[in-house]
Amino acid sequence: MMPVTTTATHSMPAANRKWSRYRHPESTIRFAVILAILAFLGYSITYLNIDLSRILGAFPRLVEILATRYFPPDMNYVSDADFLRSVLRTLEMSLLGGFFGVVCSIPLAWLAARNITVSKRIAYPFGRFAIMSSRSIHETIWTILFVTVLGFGMLAGTLALTVFCVGFAGKLFSDELEAIDMGPVEALRSVGANPLQVFQYAVLPQVRVAFTGIAIYTWDVAFRAATVVGFFGGGGMGWYLKRTTQQMESTRVAAILLVIIGLVLLAEIGSGWLRKRIGKMR
Amino acid sequence: MRHEKIIVEGRAQRGLPAKVADAMSILEVRNLKVSYSTGGPQILKGIDFEVGGDDFCAVIGPSGAGKSTLIRCINRLVEPTEGDIILFGQSVCPLNSGDLRRLRRRIGMIFQEFNLVNRMSVMDNVLSGRLGYTGAFRSFFKAFPKEDIDRALNLLERVGLQDHVDKRADALSGGQRQRVGIARALMQRPEILLLDEPTSALDPKISRDVMGLIRELAAEFKIPVLCNIHDVQLALETCNRIIGMQDGYKKFDGPAKGMRKQDLDEIYAMEVL
Amino acid sequence: MSITAAPVSAHGFDAYLAHKRRRRINNWLLVACSVALLAWCFWDTIMFDTDWQRMGGALGIGGTLERFLLIDWSLLPKLLVPALETLMMATLGTILGCVFSLPVAWFGAANVTPSKYFFYPLGRFLMVLSRSIHEIIWALLFVGAVGLGALPGILAVAMRSVGFISKITAEAIENIDPKPVEAIRAVGGNQFQVMYYGIVPQILPVIIGTIIFEWDINIRRSAIMGLVGAGGLGLVFFRQMAMFNYGGVTLVVLAVLVLIAIGEVISHYARKAVI
Repeated sequence: MMPVTTTATHSMPAANRKWSRYRHPESTIRFAVILAILAFLGYSITYLNIDLSRILGAFPRLVEILATRYFPPDMNYVSDADFLRSVLRTLEMSLLGGFFGVVCSIPLAWLAARNITVSKRIAYPFGRFAIMSSRSIHETIWTILFVTVLGFGMLAGTLALTVFCVGFAGKLFSDELEAIDMGPVEALRSVGANPLQVFQYAVLPQVRVAFTGIAIYTWDVAFRAATVVGFFGGGGMGWYLKRTTQQMESTRVAAILLVIIGLVLLAEIGSGWLRKRIGKMR
Repeated sequence: MRHEKIIVEGRAQRGLPAKVADAMSILEVRNLKVSYSTGGPQILKGIDFEVGGDDFCAVIGPSGAGKSTLIRCINRLVEPTEGDIILFGQSVCPLNSGDLRRLRRRIGMIFQEFNLVNRMSVMDNVLSGRLGYTGAFRSFFKAFPKEDIDRALNLLERVGLQDHVDKRADALSGGQRQRVGIARALMQRPEILLLDEPTSALDPKISRDVMGLIRELAAEFKIPVLCNIHDVQLALETCNRIIGMQDGYKKFDGPAKGMRKQDLDEIYAMEVL
Repeated sequence: MSITAAPVSAHGFDAYLAHKRRRRINNWLLVACSVALLAWCFWDTIMFDTDWQRMGGALGIGGTLERFLLIDWSLLPKLLVPALETLMMATLGTILGCVFSLPVAWFGAANVTPSKYFFYPLGRFLMVLSRSIHEIIWALLFVGAVGLGALPGILAVAMRSVGFISKITAEAIENIDPKPVEAIRAVGGNQFQVMYYGIVPQILPVIIGTIIFEWDINIRRSAIMGLVGAGGLGLVFFRQMAMFNYGGVTLVVLAVLVLIAIGEVISHYARKAVI
């Protein structure tokens, strides 16, 4: 082969312009913000007294504890009729909470959707606030509050789940409503339909399928939450979890956890399958 | 005959002394065959050609002829199945990943869809052409050496984008984006330019501007160009050598000036049928 | 009522009516079944399980509610530090969750996974597992592993976040545009440069948006981690609850609301700054 002589030349005149990645003042501000976040993180670690080495140690410890103390799961305990009944109750609670939550959240979402709300001054902030506050407070706190007012039992649990679902579904519903095609809405408004008629004839047909999917998803999430509301006196299988945890019956706790994980997975698979089928009907 | 190869010895007709041309042979492709899956259909069925120091060589042919595959084989974005590619005197095919990277940084490539990182600024896109020469630390902090930045500024001025340095790449028009692509390729100080349909995403007027710019810059920096192009008219206008391909074979190889209508008809015969 | 439709054969029209009738019957059946199911659920859980006597009727409920509504404002100055603690836990939990999400997203993204047959299903499984286990349960598990304190709370929040963050990240990685990646490879970039210049800029906005979203949710999760002795507003909540100081409880709940509202404002601006 012939020796290769490259003839490419790349000389260029010296730059007569200057460029730097630094922009004033954006770069300074960005740098300051990043520094502040890092400082906050560093301060948090020292303030909360977190030993970073323990974080990585936590997982081997977790596995070790699961293997020694929690193993083998006490499967007899979870095949007990009373426990199975509580599982059924949990399911019922999630259905009720999901149903009431979805029913309540549809009108709230209607108020909280900027494009079709009844009035921007009063109804819109009200709807937003109702949905946001149901969302912001953790279902656990709702459970404790309802238990305090109404006493132990599934009524409190169901109501807590209802509020939780209002927050969860309300947000998704109102997002969906804000994305609708405004053409039919304007058409109906122009023929003099009242807001309820507009909602029924122009809005609902557009979002029915999406709403059904969201409702199913809400149930899925509600079921996940329902497994633990009992922990705070809301009824269902969570109560068994609390009792066994407090009495340090680790093998029973393990069995209950396995049941919960299994059921949640089943619920997720089921809801995913249903949502996929409904999505196809679109 | 479909498989008959029309090989016209190009250099003599361009009036170049044969010896110099040989010494300046930068790319040699020998019996190149490619199929994407083993036992699958062959895209390239044995291609031979050479590219010399001042070639501006267009690869033309009907769609599906394997033009793009041919170009992509040269820097091994597509793996050749058989045959050999010799670039700068070294065989491309057996290179390991490190050597391939070192080779690739000497090859500038300009893409059909520009292949810019849309969310990065024009400057960063151009500077990314130097990545092959930039260490891990510098590339992590995007701290490119001053000479690279100066070169990038100069190139951006040359391609006419001096006022768009800090814009995001997706804020530019198609022609401007391809100019960023050209600047990025030239940032590498390439010893050969590969152009993969550089104009097919642009409208005809912009296409001519872009090709003219590439020709001008390639001549200035003395970079040979291998260009895959579907617009025959543009190829004949811009390039000094044409390789015609059809169905994985080379059908024509010669100077653009010497190309007759008959040759074109032969290359595009399949499309007419 | 007269029907003046386009000429339809009598048979076709009958078939249409029959189809319509069948659909209506099916719909009614569905509704009836659902109502029956819900009614049974209602009976079985609420009527059966509730201790109506203990509740003390409307008067009793009203009395409790009144105690909740008499907000104990004296607690207000003592809430600032716990609120900050909650915010710290949420932030650290989110950051830790991101760190854990990195490998999970890498495994669970079909186009970059190291092994389609082992790591891909593993990544997908971890995503589902993380989301399936409620944060309370994660917290209980980690209390067993590392003892009471802020750490189990943070770990619980982190583990619960992994599922969502890594799922969205994996989807973003699967949907990247391969062209810029090819360009970086063509200029001779190494693996890191291809990732850092080709992939990261494309997925960064999605990831940051997701992280901010998750941080917002993690504030409310952190607010209950007082349960495992993690401090913050949750601890104040449980203490006020134990002291039956319902006015204080309401104030804590309001504080959580305010904290989340602040979080939402911050995330709004953060999202704007990034995207």
